[in-house]
Parts: sequence; C-alpha cells; structure tokens
Amino acid sequence: MENPGEGTRPGGSFAVSCENVSFSYPGSERPALSGVSFGLRPGEYVGVVGPNGGGKSTLVRLLNGLLRPDSGRVRVVGRDPAADPFEVREHLGILFQNPDNGLVAPFVEDDVAFGLENLGVARQEMRDKVARAIRAVGLEGYERREPDTLSGGEKQRVALAGILATEPEILVLDEPTSMLDTAGRREVLRYLKALRPEKTVLHVTHHLEELTDADRILVLNGGDLIADETPERFLSDADLLRENRLVLPVVPRLALGLGLPPTRLNTPEELAEAILAGAESGTRT
Amino acid sequence: MELELKDVSHIYAPGTPFEVEALRGVSLVVEPGEVLGIVGGTGSGKSTLVKQMNLLLTPTSGEVLVDGLDARSLKKSELRRRVGLVFQFPESALFASTVEEDVAFAPRQLALHEEEVRERVRESLRVLGAEELATRSPFALSGGERRRTAIAGVLAMKPEVLILDEPRAGLDPATRQELLALILGLREAGISVVLVSHDLDEVAEVADRVCALHEGRVRAVGTPAEVFYRDPAHAPATVRVASLLKGSRPGIGAPVRFKETLETLRALRGV
Repeated sequence: MENPGEGTRPGGSFAVSCENVSFSYPGSERPALSGVSFGLRPGEYVGVVGPNGGGKSTLVRLLNGLLRPDSGRVRVVGRDPAADPFEVREHLGILFQNPDNGLVAPFVEDDVAFGLENLGVARQEMRDKVARAIRAVGLEGYERREPDTLSGGEKQRVALAGILATEPEILVLDEPTSMLDTAGRREVLRYLKALRPEKTVLHVTHHLEELTDADRILVLNGGDLIADETPERFLSDADLLRENRLVLPVVPRLALGLGLPPTRLNTPEELAEAILAGAESGTRT
Repeated sequence: MELELKDVSHIYAPGTPFEVEALRGVSLVVEPGEVLGIVGGTGSGKSTLVKQMNLLLTPTSGEVLVDGLDARSLKKSELRRRVGLVFQFPESALFASTVEEDVAFAPRQLALHEEEVRERVRESLRVLGAEELATRSPFALSGGERRRTAIAGVLAMKPEVLILDEPRAGLDPATRQELLALILGLREAGISVVLVSHDLDEVAEVADRVCALHEGRVRAVGTPAEVFYRDPAHAPATVRVASLLKGSRPGIGAPVRFKETLETLRALRGV
C-alpha cells in the first residue's frame, strides 16, 4: 500500500496518518512494523487487532512520539510526533493497558487533574473539567479515594478520566478493558461510544466484540498491515481470523456451530431467540 | 497438598478513614489436583483472597491451613515455594539478560545443584512451549512470550499449588486458549491450580469447582453448573443461552463448557 487508506469519511484531512512506516527495535532481527500505511479521518472509530508481537504496541508508541520510524511518515493533526511530541500529545491522548503504571497522585481527583496541571489550566476551569471527566467514567464519590485502594478496573477508569480531562480530539486506547470485569467493561465501552463522533478513536484490543460497530478494523500481524476491513466482513472471514490468532466470542461461535449468521447474533438473548425461531419453523415443516 | 482458608477476613488500612474490608469471613478449600476458579466483579476481593493463600498478606482474622497445619508455622520461603503465585502482569518483574537466566533466578535460591536448576528451567520452558526463547532477552519478547517466561519462573520452583491471578489479561485470544490447555496440563501433572479471572467464559472451560465472590464474601461455591445456574446473570455466555431456553425447553439440562453446550443446542435444533 503506497497511500493511506481512504477511510469511511471522505474529504478533509486525516487526523492521523501513517505512510509506508517501518520500525525495528535495536538488536531485533525482524522489523516490528514494515511498510504500514493507513489514515484516520476525523470522527472515525477504528479498531486494531492482531496477535501479541504483531506490532500494535509499536504503532501506538509511534503515534505519540515515543518511537521514531526508521522510514516512512507518521502525522498526527499534520505534525510529526517524534519532532513535536508535546504539541502532538495535546491533541492525542493514550490510555494504556496497565493503569498501575500511570497513577501518580495521592487522591483520585488529583490524578485526574494531573494532565491539566501540566497544561497550566486555570483553577475553576480545572475543577469543572475534572468533575466532568470523573462523571464520564462513573466514579462520582471516588474523588477523595486513594488510587492504591482501588481495584484494577477502577484504576483504569481513573486513568481514562485523566485523559478525557485534557480533552484531546484523538484518543488511542491500548487494550483499555483488559483489566475490567464484564460490567466495568460494558460501562467503559458505553462512555467510549458516547465520545463518537466528536473524537477520533483508535482502539487496540483482543476483544472482537468491542469492535462490532467500529467503522473499520485494521489487522496487524508480524509487523504487516494484513487487512483494513469493515467489522461485518472481517468477523465472517474464518480464515482471516484464524491466521491472525483471533477467536470469535462465545455467542457468535455457538451461532456459527449451529449454522446461524455469527455477526448478527452477539448476545445470549439474540442467539436464544434465533434458536427458538429456528426450532419452531423446523417442527412445522 | 490441601490448602484451607478458615473464616478469613482482611482489612486494608485498619483504623483509618480509608479502612476497606476486602474479605469477610471467607472459608474455602483448594483440593489436591483440582482447578478452582475464583470469580467475581472488580473489587470483589479476588486478588486479596489469593494473597492470603501464601501469606503474602496476613489475614486480619482467621486461619490458613496447609495439610491441616497453620501456614504461619511453616517457613515463609517454604510456603511460597509450595504455593506459587503468578501476579497480574508478572512480566513487569522480569530483569535478567536472558530468558533462561530469569527463569533460573528463583530455583537458584533453593541451593540446588546447578544441573538440577538447568533441568528445571528446561522443563518449565518446555511445559510452556517457550524453549526457543531460552537465550533471548526478556525485553525483546512480545506480551505473550513475556507472560510465559514469568509463569515458567514460578513453575521452576515446582509448586504444589499454582495460583494464576488474571494470567491472560492482555494476551491475544489464541495465546489465551493455549494457556487454558496449559492449566489442564498442570492438573494432569497433579498440581492444583487456582485461576482468578473475571472472564467467566474461560473459567467455564477449565474449572472443576468455582468460588464466586461478592463484596468480600463467598456468594457461592460448587461445581461450575451449580454456581452458574444459580445466578445466570453472573454466568458465562453458554449458561446464559441455555438458561434463556430452559423455559420452553426444560430438557436442555445444565451444559457449561462450550463443546457440551454446542452439542446440546444442536440436538435441540435437530441439526
């Protein structure tokens, strides 16, 4: 691929683009990314999947300037993250996988305010933004709790609030729910969805069910961008899933085993209904 | 080894305004050679519970018994060798220059012959399918490879009970399925496995028994079918589907694992 992908929202410039980007870690025989090209239009919600070691984390680090590509061009709101990391980080917030690494302050509200303090935001404005961000992740009442006393899932919501408080227009989510239980995951996903379409989102995950209504899904494997597909097409491509070490969630997998369409049956309720409907029509014929 | 918790409570920061009662009167037995799943929502006390099992945290009240003996009467090093604990994100503790050196670190503290240490390292890496990583740097590995290296380090201590606290968080789905196979392999080898997970679908596939925690108390303990069918709202997807069909298809039984559920549903549909 020579050009960034077209994206689902034509027109306007890319919020994020990679053109033929390659990167190798020092001392490693094979590149972590080779010749990767894609673009995110403002307001798009794009998923990134692929096996461990496929290049997902490397891509995230290139986008906020932690790493510089060996060749090719990375642009975030028109800027080079490796050259202008601080400028770029005002526009692009990253939620990392392990929240323990990111929490620094004695109380939850201070932690959420940390990024704003670094940006020199006025006190009253900061209060409002912090309160709004804490509400956005459902942690009202936790303002004076110590992050150390929180469970992993709660910590992750604090970390998310800290990023939302600085109001970046682009969010990169690096496996944001891997530490959450089912209820916590659903809640965070609901808030992430509420950000559409104001924010441009790149969502790295192993959980395909989180991407069923994404605009597109990118597949990284062995440093190559293997596919850039709609969820509908991708989830029904059994070979593509297997080759990329992906496994369908239980409900669509049961559906597939029963000869029912897997992409439209995501919840136990939907599957149970389809089974009963099928059994009824079966007895009639 | 039989590991028993008797009426264990744990309070963080007691006597301060931030006091949190994380466990309240938990009694639970880990039977020899079983896979025990510990499930529960965020903050239900799962991680606090397993840290009592090798006294990494001391119960505020209650007892931990190893084959009927008070765990406090054992040397801590001995207890922690026999009850191995793999933390959430264990790879953050990797430090040596090669994978084999990292895995060898703990067994080398046991005053074993160097040959025995080498043998244990080889065997642990083999069990985890990570032999080819032996001479690589832990820092040049992918997430799944690092996780396996960290688990190998605990396995090399030859624990009798292996506790895995969310061992598969952040791993790709295929690697996660491989780890499930590994857990079943450890049980074959006679090691008890305590699997802490918020992913009920995965617990359903490997657990012999399940303990469900809620707000620091044991909400239910029993076979996966007993625990999950009692409360289908907190059950794996397989159980939720079967429960929804039970009203109109009472003969559906109580399938839990994916394969038996699929077979049951196929029979129902006459496929």
